[in-house]
Amino acid sequence: MRKTLTLAAVTAAASTAAAAQTIDVGTTASPVGLDPHVATAFSTKLITDAVYEGLTAIDTDLRVIPSLATDWSVSEDGRTYTFTLRDGVTFHDGTAFAADDVVASIERVLDPDTGSPQASRLELIETVEAVDDATVQIVLESPSAPLLGHLANIAIMSKDFLDAGGDPQQTPAGTGPFRLERWVPDTALELVAHAEYWEDGLPRAEALTYHIVPETATLQLGLRSGAYDLLPTADIASVVSLEGQPGIETLSTQELSYGLIGFNAAEPPFDDARVREAFNYALDRQQLVDVVLFGRGQPGAPLSPALVDWAMPGDSFACLTRDVDAAQALLAEAGYADGVEVTINVLGILPQIVDLAQVVQAQVAEAGFDVTLNVQERGEFIQDWRNSNFTAFASLNGGSIDPDGTFYRTFRSGGSTNVFQYADDAVDRLLDEARIGTDPVARKAAYDELQGLLACTGPIAFLTFADLHALTRDGVEGFALHPTRDMRALRTTAVPAD
Amino acid sequence: MPAGLRLITQRLIDLLFILFGVSILTFLMIRLIPGDAVQIMLGANAEITPERVEALRAQVGLDRPLVEQYFVWIGDLLTGQFGTSLWTGRPVIEEIGAAAVVTLELSLLALALAIVVAVPLGCLAAYARASWLDVVVRVVTVAGITIPSFWLGIVLLLIVFAVAPGMQTFGYVPFVEDPLGNLQIMALPVLSVALPIVANLVRMVRTAMLDSLGQDYVRTARAKGVGESRVVLVHALRAALVPVVTSIGILTGYLLAGSIVVEKVFTLPGLGRLVVGAIEERNYPLLQTSILLVTATFVLINFLVDILYTVIDPRIRR
Repeated sequence: MRKTLTLAAVTAAASTAAAAQTIDVGTTASPVGLDPHVATAFSTKLITDAVYEGLTAIDTDLRVIPSLATDWSVSEDGRTYTFTLRDGVTFHDGTAFAADDVVASIERVLDPDTGSPQASRLELIETVEAVDDATVQIVLESPSAPLLGHLANIAIMSKDFLDAGGDPQQTPAGTGPFRLERWVPDTALELVAHAEYWEDGLPRAEALTYHIVPETATLQLGLRSGAYDLLPTADIASVVSLEGQPGIETLSTQELSYGLIGFNAAEPPFDDARVREAFNYALDRQQLVDVVLFGRGQPGAPLSPALVDWAMPGDSFACLTRDVDAAQALLAEAGYADGVEVTINVLGILPQIVDLAQVVQAQVAEAGFDVTLNVQERGEFIQDWRNSNFTAFASLNGGSIDPDGTFYRTFRSGGSTNVFQYADDAVDRLLDEARIGTDPVARKAAYDELQGLLACTGPIAFLTFADLHALTRDGVEGFALHPTRDMRALRTTAVPAD
Repeated sequence: MPAGLRLITQRLIDLLFILFGVSILTFLMIRLIPGDAVQIMLGANAEITPERVEALRAQVGLDRPLVEQYFVWIGDLLTGQFGTSLWTGRPVIEEIGAAAVVTLELSLLALALAIVVAVPLGCLAAYARASWLDVVVRVVTVAGITIPSFWLGIVLLLIVFAVAPGMQTFGYVPFVEDPLGNLQIMALPVLSVALPIVANLVRMVRTAMLDSLGQDYVRTARAKGVGESRVVLVHALRAALVPVVTSIGILTGYLLAGSIVVEKVFTLPGLGRLVVGAIEERNYPLLQTSILLVTATFVLINFLVDILYTVIDPRIRR
């Protein structure tokens, strides 16, 4: 009898220990492949962030910090970057990390056959070469201030793995704190700590499991019952209903991405800058924050207030404060004195965007915009968006830590995500200047001017910056929300014993 | 050819036509809805140029003409190659098999529970017509039919969380790995799927029994002095079973539909979630093949039900 009891006690202790060291993450969407060079959907990034690392990383204050590169220097003309690589780093497949891997990874992103959407971030790279095993040199066509920030998102893969024909869509081979052990489709992805991780004492947890839970109500219950430790991207409705419940903690940070209405600048009525300005005047952004975001967020402006070094406050621009008379006057001037009918395509998978669009519809109606909302399924929306097949659309845009990251591709004529067909000579000139400029003061001046040009008559009405929320069980330590939604903090996360 | 055999051959030929039609339909539908696999992979928010999109499409094989894609798929199917899932790279048949086990367990348990509860209850309600029992059964079954199973699922989860927080209700463990844990996890989903079926079936059994209890042969049996339990269970029930078996066949189809939402609520990795996930992710090979196999199963069940009639009611054979 005594023996049985002891045995039972030992078994119980063992299972508690095992449970205590696994971070159970609850998330709604399955990843669409695991190749971070190719699949840029957030459902993939959530997982690859734990598996891969870049030369640099970005901390929660949005500063560039060392990661796989310990140090770097920039030549006088701003075109040559020399990186010193970290010693003693091992890939999950057991091979040692060296300069060749960096070269292979960057070349893979730039290779047109890869089809990597990240290529445009590296398009200024002229050559990348291994000087020796521990040094990589990148030469640019022209100086690029945002390069170091961009490199944080370029996953470094094992050259041996790629050469052997490995497919990173299914078998990730990174240097990150966790290694993929098992992928049960539609159910879970099980990762274990990378035993040879370069930083001593990290990761703190022994394992990390992503549970795919499509139903929000189930996620909430699972967190309360202890089945999940962490919901890294909790929707606002869940936060509101769970906040203050015993055993639940809420983490918040300011998000870089923003809700927006995008206009087709090549078709009536929004080809007329006055109509775009009128739309801006017709919006009540504070009301959007209060009603749709439950007060958790900031009114929209060209740059997120999280970018403290760059963003101009929203009240710097008259058109970001509601003025229905001004809106009506502008509409009349543009020849729409009796109002104008417009259809807005709405990205239907994001409930927050649908809510925003509905409130916008009511707000602008007072100024004479008769809005029809066309709520679309994801694939349909993306197709119309890609083909500029819209009068206007409501969606969510990601931000970047350097204004160039989003501004250039979004507003430059011919920019890769300038689906608005927007073209403005002054904007183009300023974007080019700021991109190659290395003088921070001059860049700041250029971006200030750009914010002024884009706020009222640009192809986007900036609606809101939502706060980003995560929910954890009490006792989950070391996790921090990142304004870019980076999941780097998983390596320092520890979970309580049950 | 005997009538029974001719019926079977005719049904088998129908079956082939149906499957051929379904294969074309599923193949076309997933491709006709806007947005393809590559666009889903890139998200709404990526820096994509049309050339890069084309390069990715070529990798996935979407650059080839539709007709060619269809015949490659069908040709592979006929030679036993079911293809691989776009995202996990695993054989489609493996993923479908794993999911089918879950849905099959869910459906069979729910069906068994429904029959065990509904048939006696329906008989009792019919036999004790207009009594308080009959009234209670009728009211409760109306509620059972109208309550959507996903809502019931969430409410059940909440109740269990309040009453027995220790009960395992999240995740999924296969029966072979941990039978007890598996049954614990399946209990709530089975209940949510079974309730509407119980409600439907009780009403069906009650009506059918009322009908057959009023028939001449029942009166004859009673007049002959056959015992009351034998009258009800043998003479009346057997005749009442024909419409009941039909509706069980149809309800099996609804089981699958019901399991889509219930699997979502309870995070069970079954066929419903597999199919919905495959649509959202435009996982063409996985979706096409799973729909085709599910349809084949559904058609086959109906076929078996048809055969079963002839066994229960010899009049149909003629």
